[in-house]
Amino acid sequence: MITLGEFLGSYFLWRDPMIVGAAAGAICGFRGVYVVLRRIFFVSAARSLVASFGVALSFYIEGLGLGALSAAVHPFALSIGLTAAAAVFFALKKDYSRISREGIIGFGFLIASAAVVILGDRITKGSHDIASILFGSAVVVDPADVYIIPAIAVAAGAVLLLYMKDFIFVSFDEESARLFKYPVGALNAGLMVMIAIVAAAATRALGALPVFAFLALPPLAALYFTERLKLAFILSAAMGVLSAVLGYFFSFVLSLPTGASMAMCACLFFIAGLLWREVRKRV
Amino acid sequence: MKELIRLEDVTIGYDGKAILGPVELTIQRGEFAGILGPNGGGKSTLLKTMLGLVPPVSGRVDVEPGIVFGYVPQNEHFDPLFPVSVEEVVSMGRYARVPAGSGLSKADRECVSRSMERAGVGRLAKRTFRSLSGGEKQRTLIARAVAGGPDALVLDEPTAAVDVRGEAAIMELVESIRRESGAAVIMVSHFLRTAARYAGRIILVDADKGVFREGPKSELTTGGALADFFGLNFESGLGPQTTRPGGDGA
Repeated sequence: MITLGEFLGSYFLWRDPMIVGAAAGAICGFRGVYVVLRRIFFVSAARSLVASFGVALSFYIEGLGLGALSAAVHPFALSIGLTAAAAVFFALKKDYSRISREGIIGFGFLIASAAVVILGDRITKGSHDIASILFGSAVVVDPADVYIIPAIAVAAGAVLLLYMKDFIFVSFDEESARLFKYPVGALNAGLMVMIAIVAAAATRALGALPVFAFLALPPLAALYFTERLKLAFILSAAMGVLSAVLGYFFSFVLSLPTGASMAMCACLFFIAGLLWREVRKRV
Repeated sequence: MKELIRLEDVTIGYDGKAILGPVELTIQRGEFAGILGPNGGGKSTLLKTMLGLVPPVSGRVDVEPGIVFGYVPQNEHFDPLFPVSVEEVVSMGRYARVPAGSGLSKADRECVSRSMERAGVGRLAKRTFRSLSGGEKQRTLIARAVAGGPDALVLDEPTAAVDVRGEAAIMELVESIRRESGAAVIMVSHFLRTAARYAGRIILVDADKGVFREGPKSELTTGGALADFFGLNFESGLGPQTTRPGGDGA
């Protein structure tokens, strides 16, 4: 076990992943409030897996040695493209020929999971890379992510703030929004695509497990802690940051898998929120 | 009176499947129209077709350009997961006049406050919508509908989740808003006596039997038209007690 002094002394090792984790935790936590309120947990899980599939597919194409094509396929771009396509499909498609929406999303989750494992068996980068994609065991991050992830977080956060009233309105009462001639389809698709871009970028940097955890658990905890919607967004983003930072800290100090450690911290916030709600009910 | 909505040769339905029609109907500014009929009889579909929320299977729906609707949907329409306050809910009614991407101005917020006071929910402004009683929720939704300064107030079963006293209070509120603002009121209801008391015009809808009748209250509440439509005996007339044909009697 590493002491706190040793941890602080080796900041050059954890600075970059901590920045990326904190930015991803903040924006996933913020966005995740919509995921929770719109009851689309499984969509988030499916999207995280689709993002992983995009990364795995790019590795696979790279390993095929197809010259220019292999070089042109960037994991980040492919991941975002596939995830955004899935997001638009789930946002706009309402009729699934008598099969529930959850059933189709479950199909998306499962086919993406199976495809990641199959591709993982075929790619030359090895099983460790696939484990990193799925569970976020990467201790270090790509230096470019130190700029990309915070930039995406800031851009997505700005759009969310600018259209906050509209996103809340279409989420709470889509019918009235249609009646008032709001661009409901564009707002829904925009929200889903932004969640998808954030999920895809964060998944490539951290892995599917912590990203799904950040999208689901801090928002749930925040909604236990407060009865005010706007405060819930702030609390959720803060808990997303803390889950990432503390998760990385414990991972570093206790030599735990990073993604799992972050997800576990998010779980602890959820449990704290649950206990808070129970205590408040009894007082 | 000025025409706000006109349905010409309209067949209503969902997903291209017709359930009733063709029908002809107009809604005039300032009038109170009650849509009555059994559960699953097409009342809400007719209402949503008038609002443009459901496209007609065939025919033409014309609404006055620039018309602002104040809409009170059914209570169960809202997900209790959302921790939105009464003030936030009422503010949404003002969005009818505030485009996407813009915020509420000071004048908009004052209008929201006035609407809450008008509907008697000003003291509940900071409470969460989900924590309110059925009657308080309906008052909040009426405040929301009024906040937009509507040309037509559209209510889908506004008194379904309230007791008899609450029902009377809500209907008095709706009627006073209509008188003061000159807005049309279009109300779907199970409550035959309520609709008959307040509405100037009755619209009877039963898609199962293929029945659509509309006319002045004086015409449809006399001469056995209602008895024929509902298959009930109204020997005692439409007195003060509430009757719910097709309802659960709760």
